[in-house]
Amino acid sequence: MNTFYEGLAEILEVDASKLSPEFSFADANADWDSLAIVSTIALADDSFNVMLDGKALAACEKVADIEALIDAARHRNA
Amino acid sequence: MAVTAKIADIAGHLPSQILSNEQLAALYPAWSAEKILDKTGIRQRHVAAPGETAGDLALGAAQKLFAQGRIARDDVDFVILCTQAPDYILPTTACVLAHRLGIRVDAGALDVNLGCSGFVYGLSLAKGLIETGAARCVLLLTADTYSKYIHPLDKSVRTLFGDGAAATAIVASDDPTPAIGPFVFGTDGSGAQHLIVPAGGFRQPHDESSAVETRDDSDNVRTAEHLYMNGAEVMAFTLREVPRTMKSLLEKSGATADSIDFFVLHQANRFMLEALRKKLHVPADRLPICMQDVGNTVSSTIPLALESMRRDGLLASPKRLMLIGFGVGLSWAGCLLTT
Repeated sequence: MNTFYEGLAEILEVDASKLSPEFSFADANADWDSLAIVSTIALADDSFNVMLDGKALAACEKVADIEALIDAARHRNA
Repeated sequence: MAVTAKIADIAGHLPSQILSNEQLAALYPAWSAEKILDKTGIRQRHVAAPGETAGDLALGAAQKLFAQGRIARDDVDFVILCTQAPDYILPTTACVLAHRLGIRVDAGALDVNLGCSGFVYGLSLAKGLIETGAARCVLLLTADTYSKYIHPLDKSVRTLFGDGAAATAIVASDDPTPAIGPFVFGTDGSGAQHLIVPAGGFRQPHDESSAVETRDDSDNVRTAEHLYMNGAEVMAFTLREVPRTMKSLLEKSGATADSIDFFVLHQANRFMLEALRKKLHVPADRLPICMQDVGNTVSSTIPLALESMRRDGLLASPKRLMLIGFGVGLSWAGCLLTT
């Protein structure tokens, strides 16, 4: 998950060391906006070769929610 | 004798008014000018003045093309204008432009309504006209003024799109090896709603309800009369179809990826191009990003990139290029081009 966390930290404009599954976008005042969602789609495609759904991503509140979407997508691919 | 089509010259034209990141940052409290540049790869865009139309921009590009001297206006026997912001509902803007440009009256003229895939489609039409002997010099004009469709407070699109035009001359050549092609096309109208101006046509005419402003989750404001882009869907579509298009083109042409000098993709924005570059496994120096000072100019991004590459000396010796346009429709197309 390391390169994914680095990429996500860049998207959220926070330090990578601060990211954990429990990292909440609202608590950290991180911008989980349409641009962040688009960037995360590209990041997940690059890191895990999975295509995430924009609406499902928009509903994510913390990093673990994104990771759950990635896991589900990987199971679909497998 | 059989003829093949080749590009003889290209000229770009931009409206003089500029919209900078600083001006945009003043409107969007969440985004600084640096963040806009960092995310989009765009420092400024040119924006048409009120009353300045896509037809006017296309006129400017064609005049510059003629001034460059490789093509004379009397050579032109077919005009194709690709735009999604025509001067009129009718008549066809290309007919008006042919007259304004002083093109011969025995020339053909038509409009093509496509966006970011339009330049490659235009090249395919020009090649068809020339290689069947129907025309010898096609003036392909790409011009758009998306700024007129964009709500000032919609940063999701206002940061990206710029107005502009390009004029490309495609002429008959005796060279037996075709310089343009093969082509690969794609269309998926099921994604039409992801990049759309919903109101103003006959499906949803302008009325009181179409003028109602709404604010989305990312704080962007628009009405049904404005451009809407679902960035997530467009990104997913692009990452799905552009690699497939590249693969099909390589198979169809028998070329290898290594034999392509430059992959000139529709200049949508930097993060999309960088995501594509990684996915296509193409080194950065072979996938030019030429949009910093113009933004996403829709159907003109590829010819403007070619003009900029030529200015930078990248096309001084013969090069083999792969062009891929993709976007609104959803529509996409790719071709090989030997310069």
